[in-house]
Amino acid sequence: MKRYMLKRILFSIFSLLVVVTTVMLLVYTLIERSVIFQMDDVWNKKNANDRTAYEYIQYQKFGYLEYNDYASFLKTKYEALYGADYTKNENFKADLAAIQDENTYMENASVQEFLAQNEANGYKKTYLQPVRSTAGKVKKGGNAYLLAVRELSPFVRLWNYITHLITFETTNDVKDENLTDRYIRVEKDPYSGLFAVVGSGTTHKYLLYFDGRFPFIHQNFMHLNLGTSFTKYRGSEITQVISTPTGDQIKKQTQYPAQIGTDQYVTTAINFHTLRYNPNPRNAKEMEQYPDQYTAYSYHIGGLSMIENSFVAGIIATLIAYMLGLPLGIMMARHKDGLLDKIGNGYIIFIMAVPALAYIFIFASIGTSLFGLPYKFANAQVKVLAYFLPIISLSLPQVGGLMKWMRRYMIDQMNSDYVKFARAEGLSEGEIFRKHISKNAMIYLVHGIPANILGCLTGAIITERVYAMPGVGNLLTAAINGHDNGIIVAVTVFYTSLSIISVILGDLLLAKYDPRISLSSSKGGGR
Amino acid sequence: MSDISNKDFQFIDINTIQAERITAPRYSYWASVFRVFFRKKVNIILITLFIILIVSSFVIPAFAPYRPYENITDAKTFNLSPQKAMDYFGGFSFKWIFGTGQMGNSIFYGIMSSARTSLVLAVICAAINMTIGIILGAVWGYSKKFDAVMLVIYNIIANVPYILVISVLVYIIGAGFWSFIFALTITGWLGIAYFFRTQVLIIRDREYSLASRCLGTPIPRMISKNILPFLTSVIVTLLATELPSYISMEVFLSYIGVGLSAEVPSLGRMIQEAQASFLIYPWEFWPPVAIAAAITIILYVLGQNLADASDPRTHM
Repeated sequence: MKRYMLKRILFSIFSLLVVVTTVMLLVYTLIERSVIFQMDDVWNKKNANDRTAYEYIQYQKFGYLEYNDYASFLKTKYEALYGADYTKNENFKADLAAIQDENTYMENASVQEFLAQNEANGYKKTYLQPVRSTAGKVKKGGNAYLLAVRELSPFVRLWNYITHLITFETTNDVKDENLTDRYIRVEKDPYSGLFAVVGSGTTHKYLLYFDGRFPFIHQNFMHLNLGTSFTKYRGSEITQVISTPTGDQIKKQTQYPAQIGTDQYVTTAINFHTLRYNPNPRNAKEMEQYPDQYTAYSYHIGGLSMIENSFVAGIIATLIAYMLGLPLGIMMARHKDGLLDKIGNGYIIFIMAVPALAYIFIFASIGTSLFGLPYKFANAQVKVLAYFLPIISLSLPQVGGLMKWMRRYMIDQMNSDYVKFARAEGLSEGEIFRKHISKNAMIYLVHGIPANILGCLTGAIITERVYAMPGVGNLLTAAINGHDNGIIVAVTVFYTSLSIISVILGDLLLAKYDPRISLSSSKGGGR
Repeated sequence: MSDISNKDFQFIDINTIQAERITAPRYSYWASVFRVFFRKKVNIILITLFIILIVSSFVIPAFAPYRPYENITDAKTFNLSPQKAMDYFGGFSFKWIFGTGQMGNSIFYGIMSSARTSLVLAVICAAINMTIGIILGAVWGYSKKFDAVMLVIYNIIANVPYILVISVLVYIIGAGFWSFIFALTITGWLGIAYFFRTQVLIIRDREYSLASRCLGTPIPRMISKNILPFLTSVIVTLLATELPSYISMEVFLSYIGVGLSAEVPSLGRMIQEAQASFLIYPWEFWPPVAIAAAITIILYVLGQNLADASDPRTHM
């Protein structure tokens, strides 16, 4: 069994890798990259070389390539030499102007230095010649640019992705020579009153702490970085985006770290458990408030995060579906061709055949007009009421599906020998259905339970769109429309992992539920 | 008794072929299928409805082409309810029976053209996917070597979100009608093939198949005589769920913005355009929803009933 599981897990990791590679190839190489400028007003307004230079900026932002710009190279070079007013330096001006002459720019020492430095790192010289009119004057947007560009190969990209997938915090995270006192130790946490693991030299100050927010115990030792958003959530990691609460800030009376023990209290939404290292020197106010360089913070925010929203709605819907669908399916099978069976079949046909979009709108209009339930999520006066319609829209199709399969499997089992035997033994019909047939029929449905539960984490595309629910369901579609390649890859990895895990869990659950099923050895002489 | 002579009798040879003939009632499979199918009155009603739908969705656009931008210069025609539209355009007309859309377009002509698109799309996609899926699925189920390879491929492709595949393809080859069909069929057959593989696997190792194999029946004959007849009802059931699913899929994909291009009238696009204000202009929203639901329900129920009828056990 152990060997079998190990094999399954290794194979799962292999297929996950192949999926990531496939998706990366799809989004980075198959789609013509210039489509990102289709709707771009800035791109439309720019001309000639300015437009090309802007394209490089965007390509870098979207993760297609890396480039270095000659102007910013000069900036760092002269800033180091002459400080903040390097722009007034004559040499700087001369070096900057040198590239505007396409015949002589290669003779400039700075240009040679720039190219030599970058070509050593695998960058290629890209020189945008000045665009001139026939009179010899430079056209609008036609100024020359000197860039060093490096395309990211799919393998480099994949390797970078995998190696950055999981990162651990260590006491060497902070690159500051003045910080000599580096440690990780258990301390008493003044904010929770309990104990916390505190680090110095790590990115986060609190590595393990307790607070009043689900799941009550939080850690910063390990971070999962599925990918970074390029456009929509500018530079944020997708795991952060989906797990950050979306509500309002919660203000509390609390104390700054340096003021603990005094009677100075402040009312603020700052969550001091999230303190991160800030390399910039503290100002006078911060000197009073913080004992060390851990001055970057996030806020206490109420409400549910995107993934919690989706999961809460999904899991309630799934529970309702199982609680309604299974008994209804059993009842339909028991009274086959009766009134309930006919009504149930009508419902199943409706749910199976009608496009999901159509019945969700039907539920929405019934719910809003007859019961006065809030339609759009943001407009809801009472937040809890806003979950009603999404949950109903999510559960009713699931009820239909479960009813259909439960009825089907029950009817298949009804003529089995063990049923006839049970009847001969004198068991009541109710007992036979409840204790014998339904248990055997459930064998076929057990496998899908983990998939249904974990599937709640992926959200629901149509439901969340119709009710404008802030969930994770629309991440992928939004990312595709916005060419946010980082999110596309991240979401695919997330979905794929969930589906792989749920298949494995389903198999395990099935083997547990039905002892006749053995996963590791193949029965029947091997096919 | 004397008037009976030898010439009154005729000599007959032993005929082994005649002796083997069993005098059972004639049984024709497809005749029985349709006999059982038409026994249900609901099927006749649904088929009539379906024929009306097909004929009107092909004939009406042919005689009265849908021109979405015909009234675009006249802002007074936008979003008119049926009553107002008929008042505005001078009296009763079928063209305005469902009012006007966001650009003064006729909703009725719109849904008729869109219904045609949806039906053609569903039939073409189902035909391609079912053909490839069934042929490959049969081989997949039958050959053990092919099975091992295909399972790996299936595990990988099934995990790439199909929305992603479709949108990438739509970006690469454009959003036209045929490229949309290409996008729907490039991986769409895989699920069918997998389903079919499992069905073939089940039947391949049944006792009667095993016996056939022992008697040396060649593989093509095994497939055509032993396996396919058993799977006819499975194929029809599959068709009953596949055909409507492409209509739902088109509606869904248009709704999330990766559907057909704007030039092709489609139910999904009409629903998508009307959904934002479906409480204010319900006449723009419900007709395309109703026609999509009608097509899918009719196809589904007819398909299921045909599948029931194609199961020989119901032919008694």
